[in-house]
Amino acid sequence: MHIEDHPVLGKQLQAPVKFYFNGQEYKAYKQQTVAAALIANGIKKFGLSRKLVQSRGLFCSRGRCCSCYMTVNGEDHVRTCMTRIDEGMIVSPNLEDPVIRSDRDGD
Amino acid sequence: METEVLIIGGGPAGLTAAFEMASRGLEVTIIDESFSLGGQLCQQTQLIRALPSAYQPMAGFKLANKLTEQLKDFSVRYLLGHRVIGLYADGSIGVTDEKDVFPVKAKKILVATGAAENAISFPKWTLPGVITIGAAQTLVNRDFVMPGKEALIVGSSDFALDVAYQLMEVGVNIKGIIEKSAVVNARDKEKVNQVEKKGIPFYFNSYVKEAKGNGEVEAIDIQLQNGILTETVDLVCIDGSRSPILDSFYQLGCSFGYQEVLGGWIPQYNKHFQTDQKNVFLAGNAAGISNHAALLLTGMISGISICEELKVLNRDAFKELTLSYWRELENLENKDAWQARIRHIEKFSAPLLKDQFIS
Repeated sequence: MHIEDHPVLGKQLQAPVKFYFNGQEYKAYKQQTVAAALIANGIKKFGLSRKLVQSRGLFCSRGRCCSCYMTVNGEDHVRTCMTRIDEGMIVSPNLEDPVIRSDRDGD
Repeated sequence: METEVLIIGGGPAGLTAAFEMASRGLEVTIIDESFSLGGQLCQQTQLIRALPSAYQPMAGFKLANKLTEQLKDFSVRYLLGHRVIGLYADGSIGVTDEKDVFPVKAKKILVATGAAENAISFPKWTLPGVITIGAAQTLVNRDFVMPGKEALIVGSSDFALDVAYQLMEVGVNIKGIIEKSAVVNARDKEKVNQVEKKGIPFYFNSYVKEAKGNGEVEAIDIQLQNGILTETVDLVCIDGSRSPILDSFYQLGCSFGYQEVLGGWIPQYNKHFQTDQKNVFLAGNAAGISNHAALLLTGMISGISICEELKVLNRDAFKELTLSYWRELENLENKDAWQARIRHIEKFSAPLLKDQFIS
């Protein structure tokens, strides 16, 4: 849920944007991070851990723990707590190791 | 890119250091991986009372604005959304904007990278919905997002009580505060009263036995002294205290010392906040976990130290300022942190370990 009227800081959410998670459209606001935008829409599970295949989501929100890695606009392993949401962004969960060597990267 | 001083970290310590240096004519570059200046102050809506004499008591986010604002007339270059990722052979700092990497050559480097929150582990603590207390505050006050509806707080520091109150204000139901010791950890009795008045139960001598949930946290088993209490929650906020962020110091080849009270391993430094690498200075929580006043003052002390070394502050004025800033630090820093800092500085000339690597 978005906090439309904050008790101390007032009405800060002014510029709405649309983004997509798993093909479905959601609403967020421009100054929010990708992680915050997902949580506002009730999505907490951002991916799976490699070894034990357990659910992972936001933990530190400081860019330190890397628990919030997701794929954003085709780029793998993006720290969603350090990335701002933008109009039309396509976000997908981090379910397996990304392909790090590919024709796309010229390797 | 070349600069006289490179400050790594644009939080309270980096900004006060920048003010000391830029106001005396030094060319300063501030690099920060976030998209705003002020560091963790930006989402702090609580009043910060103990501040150096140059600052009135004010809310954290207002202090962030003030510290940023007072730099606007000086020559400061900002590299926001940039990270330090290493060191070139010639001593230049490797900086990335997440697309390219480029060198920044600086005469002096000031590391003010702050601190990271520690986790408290318990079975299934990695479930989504279990977040740090700082993350909860960021969601509520910076991103304007409700992190959950029903919450438990693990730990009872001043910071935890501040955030518990702020969560309540936006409508999160705080079901309890779990504290492993027999008393509240917070020093500020007013904060304790504020939370108690709202009817939030404290569970003392208690800890989280286990988190439960499928894909995200749904319930918590609290191990009380006389049995187990299960609470249904969708949010758990962990107050695990903080540790200094040391990555840059490893890369710059600084030596370290251990001070439990200051957050564990921290770089060795002298009373000018200069490390054993003569061109590397430090400030803020990276120099030992402390309160807001200390973050600002350590920034100010290291700032004038660099000013003196780069000859924009004469020796007498420097000595006088150093003395007065240190006096303020002694008055405003908590006693145990102050004593640990003095011990740490005394060890600078005779480090127990040299050229060590810890990680």
